[in-house]
Amino acid sequence: MSALKNRATSSLLKSETKSLQRFLSLYILLVMMVISTLGVLYYQAHKELMLSAQRAELVKYAYIQTKRLKVLHHFFDDQRTYPRDPRFRSAIYDIEYKEIFSLLKNRSVDFTQEIYLKDGVIHFVKSMDIFYLGAKYLILEIEDDGAWHKHLIKKILGYGTAAFFLFLFFGYFLAKLFVKPMRDSIMLLDRFIKDTTHELNTPLSAILANIEMMDTDVMVEKNRKKLNRINIAAKTVSILYQDLTYLTLEQERENENEKIDIAELLYDRIEYFKVLVESKALDYEMDINHAEIVMDRRKLTRVIDNLLSNAIKYNKRKGIVGIRLREGSLEIWDTGVGIPEEKRAFIFDRYRRFNESEGGFGIGLSIVKRILDEYGIRIEVFSEKDKGTRMVLKW
Amino acid sequence: MVKKLFMLLALSIGVFAENAYERNCVPCHRELPTDLQGMFKNYLLVYSGEETVKAALRHYMRYPSKHISVMSDLFIDTYGIKETLQISDQELKEAIDLYWEKYKVFGKLN
Ligand code: HEC
Repeated sequence: MSALKNRATSSLLKSETKSLQRFLSLYILLVMMVISTLGVLYYQAHKELMLSAQRAELVKYAYIQTKRLKVLHHFFDDQRTYPRDPRFRSAIYDIEYKEIFSLLKNRSVDFTQEIYLKDGVIHFVKSMDIFYLGAKYLILEIEDDGAWHKHLIKKILGYGTAAFFLFLFFGYFLAKLFVKPMRDSIMLLDRFIKDTTHELNTPLSAILANIEMMDTDVMVEKNRKKLNRINIAAKTVSILYQDLTYLTLEQERENENEKIDIAELLYDRIEYFKVLVESKALDYEMDINHAEIVMDRRKLTRVIDNLLSNAIKYNKRKGIVGIRLREGSLEIWDTGVGIPEEKRAFIFDRYRRFNESEGGFGIGLSIVKRILDEYGIRIEVFSEKDKGTRMVLKW
Repeated sequence: MVKKLFMLLALSIGVFAENAYERNCVPCHRELPTDLQGMFKNYLLVYSGEETVKAALRHYMRYPSKHISVMSDLFIDTYGIKETLQISDQELKEAIDLYWEKYKVFGKLN
């Protein structure tokens, strides 16, 4: 049971990974947005704080400078020297924003703000009540060393990354919570299949053995047909049974690799499916050369059985099942309904069928894929709607 | 006849040699204790910019009034409100422009 649980939890479905990825990228994007917004707000708040600290000083300077301007106004034209102060630079502008006199390093002044930081200097714009020398605006400028800025950026980056990882950690649990219902239902199905598989073995063997043993020669034509149908049904169930057993029990078994004559195995399986092929009036188009592979026989059988049974199951009546074997490649194709483009990426997912109208648990192809992956065999799927599907294995 | 013409010529040269400001404003203001520069600075104190100052001056020369005067009440009470200036708009504009150029602060500070 625990082995089963491990298997279910360790293998994420492709669709599951996809939705997880979507969720995570959305989540990360959101978190980054929130953190950067907070960072910007924090930065602005601190900048405001710094400026208001400077403002107190600048208001004092402005008062002093205004007094000096007043004196200069009264003694103007005899006195023409603009008052200077080592603690700040200043400028005066008239009501039409024309510069009357300026000692500023940064000449671009924003009259809409009282205090602001720009290009490394802080500007304080004082609107005067009495226009000494015609000056409506007195602008004070002081140097900003940027120390607060560096300190703040460091702080924001530090806390930001910390918060990011915290959220990431949180998101991981959230994601786990997110996929849990999906995983739970898969595990439930797994358990159910395992339990039922056991019970199927004995009756199925009995049916198949007894059909083989029946003497068809002495039968009436009508009964022989009925027996044939029973045979087909039993074999279909048998394939399913083998898949299930493989999935639940044999998968954990050690591989017994051997050199296999693929052509021989193919003929054997074709013979096995004979009744199914005949019932749909299908034709084989065989182009089989000699080829060998080192593999576990039971696993290769599962691959061939599933590909063949799909080619038969999804074929139309009087269609063709094609088999082409070469050294290093095996193709199995049909003239069936085809797989819609949008579903092609998911056909190897467990419990998914690309055509809902046909039976099957949809585990066949997922088994095929897993076995092929194990042996490093590539599989390519070519499909055209209403024309058919071609599966190509290459090793 | 020729003598008269010469006199007219000499007179007109004498008159036109001075500019609109010196012709229209300076003579009358010579009598006043506050000079034209002081009055100009008072205008700066209240109106600040070039266009604003000039517009206010133009207005005051046409419609002098105690309520909008930039001079102190004491000054007005002593010397009274000036008479409306009877010169052409063109002449007044020229006079004010020259007045501004003479006393403006722009380019004089160092
Ligand atoms: C007829 C004499 C006279 C002439 C001409 C004259 N002024 Fe005056 N001006 C006065 C007197 C008197 C006052 C003071 C009373 C007052 O302010 O109304 C005065 C006041 C002023 C003031 C102060 C205004 C205020 O708000 O009180 C200004 C500025 C001024 N003159 C400019 C000029 C200019 C410029 C001209 C030439 C275009 C000029 N004046 C021509 C007599 C004159």
